Amino acid sequence: MAPSRGPLPLARTLHVTLDGHKGPVNVARYAKGSAKYILTGGQDRTVRLWNASLGTSIKVFNAHGYEVLSISVAHDNAKFASSGGDRSIFVWDVTSGTTTRRLPGHMGKIHVVEFNEDASVLASGSFDSTVRLWDLRAQSRAPIQILEEAKDAIQTIHIDSTTITTGSVDGYVRAYDLRKGELRSDYIGHPVTAVVPTQDSQTLLVTSLDSHIRLIDTTNGKMLNSFTGHTNSSYRCRACFGHSEATVVCGDENGMVWAWDLLDAKLLQPNPPPKVHSKVITWTEHHPSDAGEMITSSADGTCKVWRHPT
Amino acid sequence: MTSRLKRKLGDIGVDPSSARANENFCLIGTPLPPLEKSRDTGEFVPLWKQEVRDEKGRRRLHGAFTGGFSAGYFNTVGSKEGWTPQTFVSSRADRAKKKAARPEDFMDDEDLQDIRDSRKIVDTTDEMDFTTEKQAESQNDTDADPLTATLQSAMLPPSKDSIGARILKKMGWRVGQGIGPRISLKQRRLQDLRASSMTDSALSTNAPDTALEEDSDEANKHTYAPRDTPVLVVERKDNSHGLGYQPGMSLNDSLGTKGGGGTSTAPNISSGFGLGALNDADEDDLDVYDGGSVNTRSRLAYDATDDHDGERFALGSSNLRSASGHNLPSSGKYRDGTAVLSGFVLSGKPIMEDRWYPLPDITPGWKPDPKRVWSQIQSQEQIPDSNKENFKGDPTTVLPHGKWKMSGFSADERGSILGETPLPSAPRSVFDYMSQKDRDRLKNIAASLHSPSTAGISDKQPSPTLGPIPATPRIPRTDPRIAHAALSGFKPFATDPVKQARYTAYLQSQADSSSTVTLEPLPHQSISEFNSEMEEYAQSAIVFKPMSGAMAGRFTTAAVVEHGPKVIEGLHTPEFNDGPSQDNAASSDAENKAKDEKELSPKENAARMGMYGPLTRESVPWQPARLLCKRFGVKDPNPEPKTEDPTTQSSSTSYSQDPSSSASDSALASGTSPADYGIVSTTDGGSTGISTGGPRDLANVGLGDEDDTQGRDTLTYERPSVDVFKAIFASDDEDSSDEEGDEGASGDKNPNTINSSTAPVAAAPSSVPSAVIDNQPVDPSTFKPTFVRREARTTITNADSDKKEKKEKKEKKKEKRKAIVSFLDDETGESLNLVVEKPQKKRKKEKVKEPKRTVVQSKGSTTMDDDDEMWVEKPAPPSVSAPTDVKMPSTAASITSEAPRGRKRAVDYL
Repeated sequence: MAPSRGPLPLARTLHVTLDGHKGPVNVARYAKGSAKYILTGGQDRTVRLWNASLGTSIKVFNAHGYEVLSISVAHDNAKFASSGGDRSIFVWDVTSGTTTRRLPGHMGKIHVVEFNEDASVLASGSFDSTVRLWDLRAQSRAPIQILEEAKDAIQTIHIDSTTITTGSVDGYVRAYDLRKGELRSDYIGHPVTAVVPTQDSQTLLVTSLDSHIRLIDTTNGKMLNSFTGHTNSSYRCRACFGHSEATVVCGDENGMVWAWDLLDAKLLQPNPPPKVHSKVITWTEHHPSDAGEMITSSADGTCKVWRHPT
Repeated sequence: MTSRLKRKLGDIGVDPSSARANENFCLIGTPLPPLEKSRDTGEFVPLWKQEVRDEKGRRRLHGAFTGGFSAGYFNTVGSKEGWTPQTFVSSRADRAKKKAARPEDFMDDEDLQDIRDSRKIVDTTDEMDFTTEKQAESQNDTDADPLTATLQSAMLPPSKDSIGARILKKMGWRVGQGIGPRISLKQRRLQDLRASSMTDSALSTNAPDTALEEDSDEANKHTYAPRDTPVLVVERKDNSHGLGYQPGMSLNDSLGTKGGGGTSTAPNISSGFGLGALNDADEDDLDVYDGGSVNTRSRLAYDATDDHDGERFALGSSNLRSASGHNLPSSGKYRDGTAVLSGFVLSGKPIMEDRWYPLPDITPGWKPDPKRVWSQIQSQEQIPDSNKENFKGDPTTVLPHGKWKMSGFSADERGSILGETPLPSAPRSVFDYMSQKDRDRLKNIAASLHSPSTAGISDKQPSPTLGPIPATPRIPRTDPRIAHAALSGFKPFATDPVKQARYTAYLQSQADSSSTVTLEPLPHQSISEFNSEMEEYAQSAIVFKPMSGAMAGRFTTAAVVEHGPKVIEGLHTPEFNDGPSQDNAASSDAENKAKDEKELSPKENAARMGMYGPLTRESVPWQPARLLCKRFGVKDPNPEPKTEDPTTQSSSTSYSQDPSSSASDSALASGTSPADYGIVSTTDGGSTGISTGGPRDLANVGLGDEDDTQGRDTLTYERPSVDVFKAIFASDDEDSSDEEGDEGASGDKNPNTINSSTAPVAAAPSSVPSAVIDNQPVDPSTFKPTFVRREARTTITNADSDKKEKKEKKEKKKEKRKAIVSFLDDETGESLNLVVEKPQKKRKKEKVKEPKRTVVQSKGSTTMDDDDEMWVEKPAPPSVSAPTDVKMPSTAASITSEAPRGRKRAVDYL
């Protein structure tokens, strides 16, 4: 494959391995801004802050009484939110390492939390099939609004400036359009575990438990592409876009990281990809700006940072 | 109280005669002790109030919250510092003084108390001492000599008789005597004899008789105490043998026939094997229950000896006892010499020993089939007359236990089947009262009914009709109504089409007495099965008939009745021909799956096919919370309808019903200022038409953007209507003008102009009502009252009307105020402010910038316009034409436009 044509190959060289978690790592997220840091949350009830390039553990946030299933970092990197089996959301102050807020209200474990763009609203999706929208500006403990349309557990939420997109186990991707006052629900047919929109919000990358990743047009709900080949039938494996949204990257349940060309949905080389984690890869996230960096977290207790060989 | 004090108090304002002022604080005498002391100490105290105190009154058992450290300190340790270690004191000097330490020296008072308590217990269980009693008795005897008595009492421990012994002694009993009335010497002798030789009375009586006679004369003068009863000695049984069993007893022994050596004398060693000559008679070997010796005689708890008088006396002298009786006749006795209980006979038969037989060899191919055995027995017992062979071969007629219940057999029927003799009081069936002939006839009829089916299967199942007693197929009755209902209702056997068909057939037959549908047992079905099936249908018809009335709508019926896994009754026999059935199950599963797939919604189908798009997408309106929109920095997608909906919509709806209130409502909704509001109320009549135009207009009130139609209306509208309006609404105008007067204090207002305006309005009443009626049926009603009033007023002189108007104004103002209050309640402060500002500005802008736009749109603006109209218009109503209106100063234009507006709106939006 000529370098001029086609997308940049995936960063497949292991840069550092972040292993500090005692159990599976459920989520790994880049900090905002230049994204030099990584936050990981694991089954061992801790949230850990890492330096991505050095691989050093900076801080451990201990407060959760149950596993940590989701982390969301605020736009200014000053705080982050985490959730899990506790049934309440913890909002943390990064520097002090303490929780500034605990938002109880959900009836089940909270699978996902997400800040909006200016971190004034926090959305949380739970096993109790509701999405709760919390006001972080006010002191009120009640959510602003509860979205109860889903019939099953909410697995993923994405918030952009005007839309809240949720993916649920009932097989629907629901987009709550604030500007239009409209709820668009797209039936995928299989439990949806991750929803990642493109920058322009025109398309949506939907990961579902039938080992398919679908690119859905947000305007009319049509499927633009379907990415298959990997194995994903029982765990939440988040797929994401590669650099400049030219590729789709997903770690699967066998510990392999797959990559497809966004446009023609062809598997990129190597095919099949090498097995880099011993267990299911729970989270894949590409560096927001750096073309050659990517992180994966796995149930084998590690989080790995991948870069291009330099 | 002194008069001065009284006066003073009076000045202060205290009533000197009140009890309060006269209160006395002196106490005279000593108060009685509180009543609590006299309280019943045995009173019930709840558990949590009960306290445990030791003998010193200190509280024990402190809770964590009621004692804690101090409790421990005060109760146990004794000092704040805790235990003080004893200082060492040398005992060297004191050694001589020292006594031997007793345990009591180291005990505290509690321990001592414990010891005392335990001692008491020991005392109560102490054995009584008979020896001391004697002394006590003798003491009693020697009562005469007080000195010895005191000496004795001092030197001897007090007697320890039991109470019974003491009583007996008081009654004259002595130790060693028997209990009972005193007897003569002769009787006593007899007793002795009997005791010594219970049976051989003749022999024993003969010998002593001579002795008796010797001193009879002297002895007969006295009575004697009876002989003492020996104390029962029950030996302990400390082995595990059965009663009466002797270890090592041979079979012969157990049978009662004496074996080889029963002759051993002194220690009665239990006879048996294994005891050699060298063996000593061990304790173990002593025969505990041996009755061969006379000793046992005295050991017996009681003896039922019929041959004697029932008086048993055991005598103390052992030699007498031993002398008596080895020679007891064994006829009525057990082997050990005890008498056989009355009514029992010794058995001569040997005891049967249990025999164990080895298990038979089970042939390898054997399978348990109890049915076969049952059927055999059953057929033999129950129908000896019918052909047994056939019956035996028919396993289906043998019902397992569970089915007996289901088959509806009565206990009597079952009993008769099992060959039981019927209970005497058993109810008789109708058949019992029939003659044999009738019964036969019925049987024949029944048989003929089933003849086709039985004929068809005769080779497989030769005699189904002759089976057990319920051989006649019984079809239970179901109420026709229920059957009808059940026909239309739920299908309980939907999973089994054949059964469902039969079920419906049954229902039809029951619903229609005239229907020709008849049910017959299926070819492979026995009559009893058929009967139970019919029963089942009848039951399910009752159960599954659709609910009636109010309850019907509350429940939804299940699609399929779930049947649990089929339980095979009886012993488990593995089945080897499962293959095909499993295949069937698999195939049916596959069918079900296919069905499920068919039942998928189009959406699911599309998703399955990968045809995502419009098929899989559904859009529904969704209302984000206002705060959410605020936080997201997004404009509320449909803010007005949502946020103000409650007020506006209610106003619009209520409008048709109650014009006046609706008018105020709409004014509120549009957010008019108080002044505006007043105007609105004046324009009631005109605005009703507008308001009825639709909620949308109301919603748009106050939004400049939405006022596009405003100008158009005024442009298109013609003058004449204005006049008409005036004529009609003269009164309204006046009102409005009055109110405006308040409001329009800023603008100048002339009574003259008002008057003039009223006059023209009065001129053309006819046209307007028609228009109004055209618009909406409701309007006229709203118009009328005002209209009439106005007319009346117009007739009055201008001056009068002015005055009246002013009065009205005031009243209306008041009304407005009220309305305003409510308005404030309804709306937030914000909106109020906004509204207050809005209308005027807007109006001016509109009028200045866009002459085309007039006031159609919103109430707030219309009302404002109205106000202005009222003011200015009146001077020149007739002359104003549409175009001039537009160009005219705002007030005039608005007036003219207003009336048309109202009308137009209604027309337009109808």
